Amino acid sequence: MTAERNSAIVQLTDVTKVYHQGSVDVHALRGLTFEIAKGEFTAICGPSGSGKTTALNLIGALDHPTSGTVVLEGNDLSQLNRRELSYLRRDRIGFVFQAYNLIPVLTAYENAETVMWVQRVDVEERRRRVMELLAAVGLEGLETRKPSELSGGQQQRVAIARAIAANPAIVLADEPTANVDSETADKLIGIMEQLNREQGVTFLFSTHDPRVMERAHRLVRMVDGNVASDERQT
Amino acid sequence: MKARGTSMTVMAWRNLWRNRRRTLLTLSSIAFGVFLAVLFTAMQDRNWTDMINLASRLGAGHVTLQHPEYLEAPTLSKTVERTSALRESALAEPGVTRAVERILGQTMLSTARESRGAGFIAFDPGAEDSTTLTLLGAIVQGELFATGRDAGIILGERLANNLGVDLGDKIVYTMTDRTGGIVSGLARVSGIARTGAPSVDGGLSLLPIDAVREVLGYAADEATQVAAFVDDQRRADRIADRLNAEVGNKVTAHPWHEIQRELAAFIALKVGGARFMEALIAVLVAAGIFNTLFVSVMERLREFGIMMAIGWSPGRLFRLVLLESAWLGVVGLVGAALITALPYWYLATTGIDVSGLMGQDLEVSGIAMPTTFRVGIFPMHAVVIAVAALVATLLAGLYPAWKAGRVDPVETIKLV
Repeated sequence: MTAERNSAIVQLTDVTKVYHQGSVDVHALRGLTFEIAKGEFTAICGPSGSGKTTALNLIGALDHPTSGTVVLEGNDLSQLNRRELSYLRRDRIGFVFQAYNLIPVLTAYENAETVMWVQRVDVEERRRRVMELLAAVGLEGLETRKPSELSGGQQQRVAIARAIAANPAIVLADEPTANVDSETADKLIGIMEQLNREQGVTFLFSTHDPRVMERAHRLVRMVDGNVASDERQT
Repeated sequence: MKARGTSMTVMAWRNLWRNRRRTLLTLSSIAFGVFLAVLFTAMQDRNWTDMINLASRLGAGHVTLQHPEYLEAPTLSKTVERTSALRESALAEPGVTRAVERILGQTMLSTARESRGAGFIAFDPGAEDSTTLTLLGAIVQGELFATGRDAGIILGERLANNLGVDLGDKIVYTMTDRTGGIVSGLARVSGIARTGAPSVDGGLSLLPIDAVREVLGYAADEATQVAAFVDDQRRADRIADRLNAEVGNKVTAHPWHEIQRELAAFIALKVGGARFMEALIAVLVAAGIFNTLFVSVMERLREFGIMMAIGWSPGRLFRLVLLESAWLGVVGLVGAALITALPYWYLATTGIDVSGLMGQDLEVSGIAMPTTFRVGIFPMHAVVIAVAALVATLLAGLYPAWKAGRVDPVETIKLV
């Protein structure tokens, strides 16, 4: 248990999140507690409104909990200011969004290098890493294409390359296969599995997609803002 | 094609062209605004400089050295001495091109039939020409007297008509000397001048300085003023200040606007109006830029949210939008230069004849104005307009840039 705790990248402890919608308080999370260890390939599933995306937002340092603590690599996120959170997202967290969300004026190459660019990584190092990753996600030769010239699956592959380019501690993927066909979804999951296996990238998904759930090494089911079950899968 | 990394400048440039039509419209408004500001300012710079130069050549120069009390109560008793030394002092100043001695005053001109009051300028014909005294270029009949001792007089055309004199006719000029006594001299009409300014043509005469000195009992190096001419009228103040520090308390150096107060007030009023117009143009252009950038930012809130989520800092997003704003300013200025160059060149070199619109006798504050409309901007004013356009563009971009830096990723990413 101690060894596992030491290797935890993310620790959520008794986290609540309440949204105020007019006069109504919506309890998105109700004392959520769980950990993500380094190298895990974890999926969070559950019905709409169960708190998956809220949990991802909190882990991704995009939002603050109403109570409880979210710790990422030993940093209590509630203690960090806006700028420090921005640096933390830049350096330690990768994001893959449901709707690709690439920057439309940048090419595939430029989108993939964006995070390293804002990190001021050396040009040659950026180039080496981006070319390697674009090849790994099967986009060799498409580097100069703009997002509008890529299919949905290709755009999501660029988003995956962008998310892992800067060697983050964890990649958070919010419904990454929601907008692609099943064949493309299989390929995307395969790419992420491969990156997890070969490069040790830690992935945490929120998903409704049974294919993602099946292939996740760990499946956390959420209901009503809390963990209903937490299973390891082989 | 080899993939290359990007930069914020390139990204800002590309963002500018995401809505090509909107950007082109905004650039047009910047270019047209700067075009108007440049032509407006160039017209004024040229116009006022021409007026000031014309006024200075009508009698007092750009800088006038005279008795300290002459300005408030001009009489022929308030003279300056050692005029040669004063001329040398003036000529030693950088920018002073000419310095001449003159006696200015009022006289009564009489013929056998008529008498008329008039102003007079007595000067050395060997030292002056039309670049220091406009009237000398406007002699339409006869000629200039040969020396300062000639018994000649040049009259404005209307004045000659009013007196009923022609070339060669005798005129007696009567003045009040320094003791209050009445003194007279006799001259023959040697020339008649036409400037186009009614007050000049109807009320001014020119006399030889040594002849007038003799009539008034002045010494050989005594006059009511030394008029200095400078290559750029804007230097008059500094030159007057330096001369005042040098010439002692018996002489005061006045820049042109202290002598030509009416003209200075007229120009100040016009310049004030022009500045207001220019500020209005700047505000309108800035409003257009603001609208473009603000709409552009509001359309991209989700994108900014994503960028913030993947590690862009608020400051970096702020700089990105401000760079887009700077690009608008720079490209707008290039456009302005392109659309301004040809009209400016034509108006600066050839000009437009406006005599048909304004008549031949256009006079402002007693100054006959040229009837060809030309422009000529001071380089510093061109720089000020360019900088002002850039600053206005950047200011207009501040709020949209701030807005971009304040996006809440959680809220904006929800906006599918």
